[in-house]
Amino acid sequence: MATTLRSDAAANDQPLADDQLRQMLATMKLARYVDERLEALYRQGRLPGAIYSGRGQEGTHVGVVSALRPGDSLFPTHRDLTAQLAKGLDLNRVLAQFWGRIDGYLRGRDGNSHIGDWDGNRTYAVMSHLPIAYPVAVGAAWAYQRAGDGRVALAICGDGATSNGRWHEAINWSSVERLPVVWVVNNNQFAYSTPNEKEFAVPTIAERGAAYGIPGVRVDGTDVLEVYRAAREAVDRARGGGGPSLIESVSLRWRGHAGHDPAKYVPGELLDHYTSSKDPVMNFEQHLRQLGLVDDDALAEMQREIEQRFEEAHAFALGSPFPEAGDVNKGMWVEDGYWRAEPGRGGGTEAS
Amino acid sequence: MATQQVETGAAGHGAEPRGKRSDDGQATYLIAVAEALWEEMERDERVFMLGEDIGVYGGAFKVTEGFLDRFGPERVIDTPIAEETIVGMAVGAAMEGYRPVAEFQYADFMSSGFDEITTVLSRYYYRSGVPMPVVLRGPSGGGVRASNFHSVNPEPWFAYAGGIKIMCPAFPSDAKGLLKSAIRDDNPSLFLEHKALYRRIKEQVPEDPSVLVPISSADVKRAGEDVTIVTYGAMVHKALEAAETLATRGVSVEVVDLRTVYPMDEDTVLRSIEKTSRALVLYESFHFLGIGAEVASVIAERAFEHLDAPVMRLAPPNHPVPFSPPLEDAFLPQVADIEAAVDRLSAW
Repeated sequence: MATTLRSDAAANDQPLADDQLRQMLATMKLARYVDERLEALYRQGRLPGAIYSGRGQEGTHVGVVSALRPGDSLFPTHRDLTAQLAKGLDLNRVLAQFWGRIDGYLRGRDGNSHIGDWDGNRTYAVMSHLPIAYPVAVGAAWAYQRAGDGRVALAICGDGATSNGRWHEAINWSSVERLPVVWVVNNNQFAYSTPNEKEFAVPTIAERGAAYGIPGVRVDGTDVLEVYRAAREAVDRARGGGGPSLIESVSLRWRGHAGHDPAKYVPGELLDHYTSSKDPVMNFEQHLRQLGLVDDDALAEMQREIEQRFEEAHAFALGSPFPEAGDVNKGMWVEDGYWRAEPGRGGGTEAS
Repeated sequence: MATQQVETGAAGHGAEPRGKRSDDGQATYLIAVAEALWEEMERDERVFMLGEDIGVYGGAFKVTEGFLDRFGPERVIDTPIAEETIVGMAVGAAMEGYRPVAEFQYADFMSSGFDEITTVLSRYYYRSGVPMPVVLRGPSGGGVRASNFHSVNPEPWFAYAGGIKIMCPAFPSDAKGLLKSAIRDDNPSLFLEHKALYRRIKEQVPEDPSVLVPISSADVKRAGEDVTIVTYGAMVHKALEAAETLATRGVSVEVVDLRTVYPMDEDTVLRSIEKTSRALVLYESFHFLGIGAEVASVIAERAFEHLDAPVMRLAPPNHPVPFSPPLEDAFLPQVADIEAAVDRLSAW
């Protein structure tokens, strides 16, 4: 597994333009900032619900999504808010979702990173029972294959979810039908508190691809370009009718499973190693500096814009009304029209 | 409604060919189901079917025999034995604009897809507003000596999940019209075909492909004055048989067939109770928390002032469905049990 960043992005058959590289960095830094701010709001007891930090895994998230086109679909987990931001979700509506407001993507019907924007950005609304979205990605990929429209589905789960039967069911089926789908495992080394060695007995998850007759690769998830190259190859293969691929992207979950979890089960040296020398955001920033694509001024401006963007979005979220309590029974059946109409905005902005 | 015995039960392994309508235009329940599928496949290119052994083999009960030749492997998909992914695949395809109809070889195996049904299919629309025009269908119910892994009535498991319309028709015409409605509905549906009825009853079934039976509408299958039996599925036929006998003894029984168990047509039930003032709730799902438990609650809540007797329930215990014929017969409500229950109600 490569541990150093390759300096030559043009080594790839599909080189990324300078603007794309800068945009990837901006997305990673935005996601990092959002992650830190949400954690602070949660710890202050202000934010309702739960948070699931994706810190340290930005390379995986931005790397795989950068290989997708707008019409491709993304099936993420609660850990993958960064991937959803990279796919194009609007931060205003994301934060409104975290605050349970009507302008959130799910109108307050679900919260935190259980988010999705199917009609707009083709992201699936996250569910907890991982890898519950893997079978659904099979259906989307089947639809693209039947339509012959060249679209691709990309599904993410964690290392923990690879122990579940649906992981096998979905990958097996996709392989049998050679569906245009990319299976990504964000191996952050812990399933809540359970380490890799208690989850699977083979050395890598990637080698399980052989059991399904599909390519399986293991990449350094802290190296966004290495992830991108693997994802791009897999996405191109799927788009071209070459069937599914499996990507194991290895990083470390820097924070606990959720906001309440201090993650004392993660060895201190391991965490120190990752935070000091395998920070995907800092390493990519350094890489772009070396390429001459960013400098101190540009980075300062990027950070200023990110913080301003967050403040705007946060103000938008807090100014968005709660759903009207009287609507609680609406939107269960298509025929009541709730989801086709603008929702009521009389719920106020003060929580009861 | 005319019914007649045409064959013995499918015995759980109905590999016989599907057959055709008889010369006088009558169709079995199984043929009615197949016609509904065929007509909707013809009508709407977005409709497709998936399931285990439905293509080359034509389905374990031969419901889909001949479909592969007509519609091709893109729309008649033989799947791996992977029920969670059968459901998930249907969901994903529906999200991309298709209208999947997934067959479960036996409704028992819906439990193997439980999470994708109850966590994904039943909740996704309420959470996000993305319609889920998915139909899950399969043979349910007992009475054919198929023992406990091929005889389940799973409707309460999934009614509890909410968000899924659940149909349990008793007659071929209702089966055809309801399945067509389910396929055209933008919400998820669970369509349970009672396997004991597949080849056992036949009747005149509409040939006009535009004839539908509305979802969530109960139907009075026999009008009466003294006692109402609220039931669905195969129990409707036992109720009608009991009503016939009871009539000879001067007891007039009304039989209300729910047809759709969720969301339930409460008004038709209540109108009948207002007339008869006595209610027997007869159901093949388990007694405790089965569909009839909810029917009894609705009657108690909304028709208390009309009742002349306590609401009575008749249903199997919450046990596995036993195999040996005397055990299964003792387990399932029988016509004599229904008559005795009506007599007890009438005695109030």
